[in-house]
Amino acid sequence: MTEESPEEDHGSPGVAETNPGSPSSKTNNNNNNNKEQDRFLPIANVGRIMKKVLPGNGKISKDAKETVQECVSEFISFVTGEASDKCQREKRKTINGDDIIWAITTLGFEDYVAPLKVYLCKYRDTEGEKVNSPKQQQQRQQQQQIQQQNHHNYQFQEQDQNNNNMSCTSYISHHHPSPFLPVDHQPFPNIAFSPKSLQKQFPQQHDNNIDSIHW
Amino acid sequence: MDNNNNNNNQQPPPTSVYPPGSAVTTVIPPPPSGSASIVTGGGATYHHLLQQQQQQLQMFWTYQRQEIEQVNDFKNHQLPLARIKKIMKADEDVRMISAEAPILFAKACELFILELTIRSWLHAEENKRRTLQKNDIAAAITRTDIFDFLVDIVPREEIKEEEDAASALGGGGMVAPAASGVPYYYPPMGQPAVPGGMMIGRPAMDPSGVYAQPPSQAWQSVWQNSAGGGDDVSYGSGGSSGHGNLDSQG
Repeated sequence: MTEESPEEDHGSPGVAETNPGSPSSKTNNNNNNNKEQDRFLPIANVGRIMKKVLPGNGKISKDAKETVQECVSEFISFVTGEASDKCQREKRKTINGDDIIWAITTLGFEDYVAPLKVYLCKYRDTEGEKVNSPKQQQQRQQQQQIQQQNHHNYQFQEQDQNNNNMSCTSYISHHHPSPFLPVDHQPFPNIAFSPKSLQKQFPQQHDNNIDSIHW
Repeated sequence: MDNNNNNNNQQPPPTSVYPPGSAVTTVIPPPPSGSASIVTGGGATYHHLLQQQQQQLQMFWTYQRQEIEQVNDFKNHQLPLARIKKIMKADEDVRMISAEAPILFAKACELFILELTIRSWLHAEENKRRTLQKNDIAAAITRTDIFDFLVDIVPREEIKEEEDAASALGGGGMVAPAASGVPYYYPPMGQPAVPGGMMIGRPAMDPSGVYAQPPSQAWQSVWQNSAGGGDDVSYGSGGSSGHGNLDSQG
């Protein structure tokens, strides 16, 4: 069956940036219920991402975009539910990035795991330091210890820059060996067993350590 | 380009034997989950298309890995974080969400949309369409195991429509426009052929031939988008090593 949808939207590749939380001005939903719109991501953003993998002459009907909108919301709820269940089993209240990656792995999206681990690691390298607070940091450390006990294969360590770099390099080096780190550089030992020695090592490892941690 | 041109000129494989006088187009068997009998020629063609899709998806994941390694700015996202957080909080069991969770979801959802679109586009190409439609999404969902949780999203008629399309193509009475009695994999579609060759109806090739093919048209657009788009807005603040951080507590 060959069918051309007259309602097809040619998209808006020139749109610079969408305001977070505000519905797209290009959205022409039949449903004017604001709460209904809030259940989905903006259709303009979804359409823009879809166009990335279509050939130049490919088009997307509006009903296809709307269907993908619903699928994405279902994906978020699906993964969030799995991550939330895990947090409850471990008696934790906050869902973090590791929980999301664990849920995605459990639900069968194996191909997503490697890119997301690199992404999360890079985020913690850059943004994590800015918003870091003693309480939040301690909370993350506790979560990290639980994670390490439950999943030995996890490589995420956010105690300091070098460890994070090593974690990032462990993924990148599979394709692009990193010339920035010495070969003999080793990540920190398991912090669960030597919390005090960690404090001693900080001045040596990180001259400009901005977070003086007191255990 | 040359490989595609050669491939276009390649004659159908001798193993594809059809009754004389019948015009043959691409045969789409039912989804692989069933054990129904599959026409040999159609099975070969379908298997070939699946190989193309798998190869396409492998290149997609490799590309995503490389692209993420270049990320240095987490303030600009393809998807609004507040909306993602609101969707997460719709679950009453969800209490607190760390700041990194919606940011990670923004990337995960982008990967999800891209994979779903690639798999849907295959179905549109099988039906010789250049416009992605709802039933293409439905077909991708029914054919992909990890998308089982989405079966309730698409109405029954969409899935049934996909089955009817497959049945129509798989059953008798196949008519190719302006086609003679000779088996013909490239019926005219009223528009110039896409540079690099068409994706559908391509004769089956040996494995070495398949993997020697250049990236498909879709991926050429991906690389072009990557070269042109890149980071729309890059502040470079992502590379900060924290020297300016004022949270120094002794």
